[in-house]
Amino acid sequence: MKAERVGLALAVLAAVLWIIPFVWMLVAALRGSVSGQLDLASLWPDGPYNVANYIEAWQSGHFPLWYLNTALLCAGILAVQTITVSLAGYAFARLNFRGRGTLFVLFLLQLLLPPAVLVVPNLLMITQLGLFDTLPGIAAPYCASAFGVFLMRQTFRSIPRDFEEAARIDGASRLQVIRHLLIPLARPGLAAFAVVSVTSHWNEFLWPLMAVSSPAHQVLTVGLASFTLSSESGGDWGVIAAGTALVAAPLLVVFVIFQRRFTASLVSTGLK
Amino acid sequence: MLCVTLSLRPSPGLRTGVLALALLAPSLVLLSMFTYWPVIGVTLRSLVEQRFGQEPSWGFGNFARLEADPHFSKAVGNTVLYALGTILPSIALALGFALALRTQTRLVAVLRTILLMPQLIPLVAAAALFVFIFLPGGGLLDYYLAKLGRPATNWLGSPDLALGAIIAITIWKNTGYYMLFFLAGLAGIPADYTEAALIDGAGLFTRLRRITIPLLGPTFGFVTVIALVNTLVQIDHVIVMTGGGPSDSTNMILYYIYQQAEQNLDAGLASAATVVCVGGLLAISVLALRSLERGIHYES
Amino acid sequence: MRMLTRAALALGIATSLMSGVAQAATEIDFFFPVPVQGKLAVEMTRLVDAFNASQSDVHATAVYTGAYDDTNLKTRAAIQAGKPPAVVLMSANFIREYVITNAATDLSALIAKDGLTDQAFIERFFPAVRQNAMENGHVYGVPFQNSTPILYYNTDAFKEVGLDPEKPPVTWQEWVDAAKKLTKRDGTTITRAGLELISSYDTLGWVTSGLAMSNGGDYYNRGWGGEVYYNTPSTIGAVQFMDDLVHKHHVMPEGVNDANAVANAFFSGRAAMIVNSTGVLGFVRDNMKLPFKVAFIPRAIRNAAPIGGASLLIPTGNTPERQAAAWKLISYLTSPEVDGGWSRFTGYFAPRMAAYDLPEMKEYLAKNPDAKVAVDQLAYATPWFATFNTVGVRKAIEDQIQAVLSGKAKVPEAMEAAQKAANELLRPYVEQTALKLPQ
Repeated sequence: MKAERVGLALAVLAAVLWIIPFVWMLVAALRGSVSGQLDLASLWPDGPYNVANYIEAWQSGHFPLWYLNTALLCAGILAVQTITVSLAGYAFARLNFRGRGTLFVLFLLQLLLPPAVLVVPNLLMITQLGLFDTLPGIAAPYCASAFGVFLMRQTFRSIPRDFEEAARIDGASRLQVIRHLLIPLARPGLAAFAVVSVTSHWNEFLWPLMAVSSPAHQVLTVGLASFTLSSESGGDWGVIAAGTALVAAPLLVVFVIFQRRFTASLVSTGLK
Repeated sequence: MLCVTLSLRPSPGLRTGVLALALLAPSLVLLSMFTYWPVIGVTLRSLVEQRFGQEPSWGFGNFARLEADPHFSKAVGNTVLYALGTILPSIALALGFALALRTQTRLVAVLRTILLMPQLIPLVAAAALFVFIFLPGGGLLDYYLAKLGRPATNWLGSPDLALGAIIAITIWKNTGYYMLFFLAGLAGIPADYTEAALIDGAGLFTRLRRITIPLLGPTFGFVTVIALVNTLVQIDHVIVMTGGGPSDSTNMILYYIYQQAEQNLDAGLASAATVVCVGGLLAISVLALRSLERGIHYES
Repeated sequence: MRMLTRAALALGIATSLMSGVAQAATEIDFFFPVPVQGKLAVEMTRLVDAFNASQSDVHATAVYTGAYDDTNLKTRAAIQAGKPPAVVLMSANFIREYVITNAATDLSALIAKDGLTDQAFIERFFPAVRQNAMENGHVYGVPFQNSTPILYYNTDAFKEVGLDPEKPPVTWQEWVDAAKKLTKRDGTTITRAGLELISSYDTLGWVTSGLAMSNGGDYYNRGWGGEVYYNTPSTIGAVQFMDDLVHKHHVMPEGVNDANAVANAFFSGRAAMIVNSTGVLGFVRDNMKLPFKVAFIPRAIRNAAPIGGASLLIPTGNTPERQAAAWKLISYLTSPEVDGGWSRFTGYFAPRMAAYDLPEMKEYLAKNPDAKVAVDQLAYATPWFATFNTVGVRKAIEDQIQAVLSGKAKVPEAMEAAQKAANELLRPYVEQTALKLPQ
């Protein structure tokens, strides 16, 4: 038991280190810009405080639109992914067909090739589909997910076959079984996948930058870059901190609220 | 008669195959458009030699040029260092955190949340914060190191330190995420195993080495693959913070590909580098996933 | 499932709503980078809105596209995808490469429609910016915002060590002398650098070219993109000068210092003199709480300062209708009034000479003598480094200088290596141009 206490103490220490950038972000964002760039590094909240940085960051862009676009994008990707990964995950978990191993490796290939690696061909593809400069265009390459298929396969495997066989005997078709029995049982796995999917698409930068032009379709990260990526001057730290806080806030809040449930979901997928 | 029955009732194997294909079709169509087709395209392109103003021809010239390019070997070396420097500590830390934070107390919930927070912010944003943290003299790190009497350090501007700084950010960003997988893995280890070992009087490290770590084999495989992919494709912070410098000391394979494709407009070299990169990654991943598969079969 | 359908439906509706209602006006998109500050993005959007309100034939949409390099990347990708933007604000030294690769529209025809020759058109702009906008007598880019490097110095620090803030250093010798006096040390550690130069990619090449030109050299072949002069005495001397600042005079910190580090050091008094773009004058004014002044870059043999900044170009692949619409936007943005206003807002100088004849500009310069220094230095400005494969060839010398500044390489050998690497990158172009002789 002594070892466990030492472990916990070390974890506390690590957590303190881990949270420092966030503390600085919040302190720097609230620190008034009167002192210019002097003593910006202090973590101690020494004022004077105001929300000028937040106001400047907010006015530098179209945050309500960016929030909406990003939320729509993440929701849309997740909606389609839920269908594709459940079906494929089921096939890999339950069906014995020829070439299953090979196909599975082919699926996993996508893990290694996110759109960032294949920018030009993917751009050509969405242009040919008429999806260039649209939210569905950003979403399209992500609608199939190797990671999701893998996760769902594990989840389905952890559900006892007996349930399914009982339903089949009662005359349910395979699709009915998937939809009414397995998907509800696999909810924890889907929840875990949802979190991973939403976080990664919420935070992605390079591909949305390339795939969309109109300001009407801009997402948060690309918008944020407008005040973090200034190459000729030095950074406007207070505004950068405020903008980062604005971008990160929704996910952080949601995660803090649902932390327990989410970890429980992931644990229950039987992914090990 | 027999023939008719056969045609009306295909063999169960065939039926399963058709069903599987139907279930996989949506994914396969999407993967074909956005993964397989581009990969075939890149592979073909890598075999086309075309330099400025010349007629294209087929051959392996791009690969020869790639091999001769010192920037590429530097990028490969950096990527290997970066991968080792991030994956090993991240996994060790993630396992450590998971072991320390297995219980369900309020404090543990808070600590888990804090450790996972970096995963929830965009890498571009994290990079912007860390540019300030690493600022020589006036930045967060130097400000507090100065209180301990250490002189200002040019973290991102020294060829010896820059890669280390980039590695530190990646560890900070991803460890909490990997911790989740270890938490899931640990929860799957039956309690009686460890209890039995405890009764036998096995110490903490014996239990770790003999029971926990072997049973977590598949988790290690999975996390390693995810981490490997992350080190290769997540380079937003390199772009924002160093642009691959100083003197190429933080240049990575993917960034090299970008430089060739978009700055030097050398599609042949970029495609060849992509093929090499994907090939290597695929080989390593298949190896890692094999161990994962074995572990799962072993258990079921 | 029903929820999913609803979500998909909502997605579809929202997307179609946001794509905007069709208009009779020609719709064009305009890619612009923000190299300095976020609030410039807001101002640029405002300018484009004003353009849209001023007429009804063209409706332009301003698209923020990251930094200069991101903008280049995105423009190239959009051209390859067959969706080129109508107008791009492009780093001025990329134009040569866009012309070499047939990616920029020759603007002569559009200029001719306005009743001007290319020569008459380009003479509306300062002489220093003309070269980077033209290739072979044709205009391909219209200068919009330009800068040169200038010396920013902390006048309190000058007074403290007995230097006269009204007499900034003029020659390299005076520069080193002043830097030595201004440097403060704690043991061997520098606590206040006498001088800091930005030495991260892009800016380093720019600053070096200025020093080499001041040292008597040409640095690159201005008329043809196939030659650079990295291992010549003028460049070797300039790089040796930088090396000496670090390793001989100990007035500049070792290693690479990016724009963030240099600006922060200047604002917090840890660097007494810095070299930075005139384009960040507004940013420095906002953030520097200590008194400061600006001056010409000190000279070795002659005064020289390379042009920086960006020009407007029309990528190839646009229809004549879109080209005409793009030209309207370009003409609007580079009018003396608009260009002058943008200059006052940002700190960039307005390349359009007539902007300086306007009363509001005269008033502004009277109030802000530092902005006048930037304009006066234009008399000594030189064209910006531009070759085939500009970024790669620039990086070839930057990698070597960074090694020198980090104490990892000696100057003459490093410059030989840089020249060799650059020649290798330039070879495909050289073989197809200068070395391709009549058969």
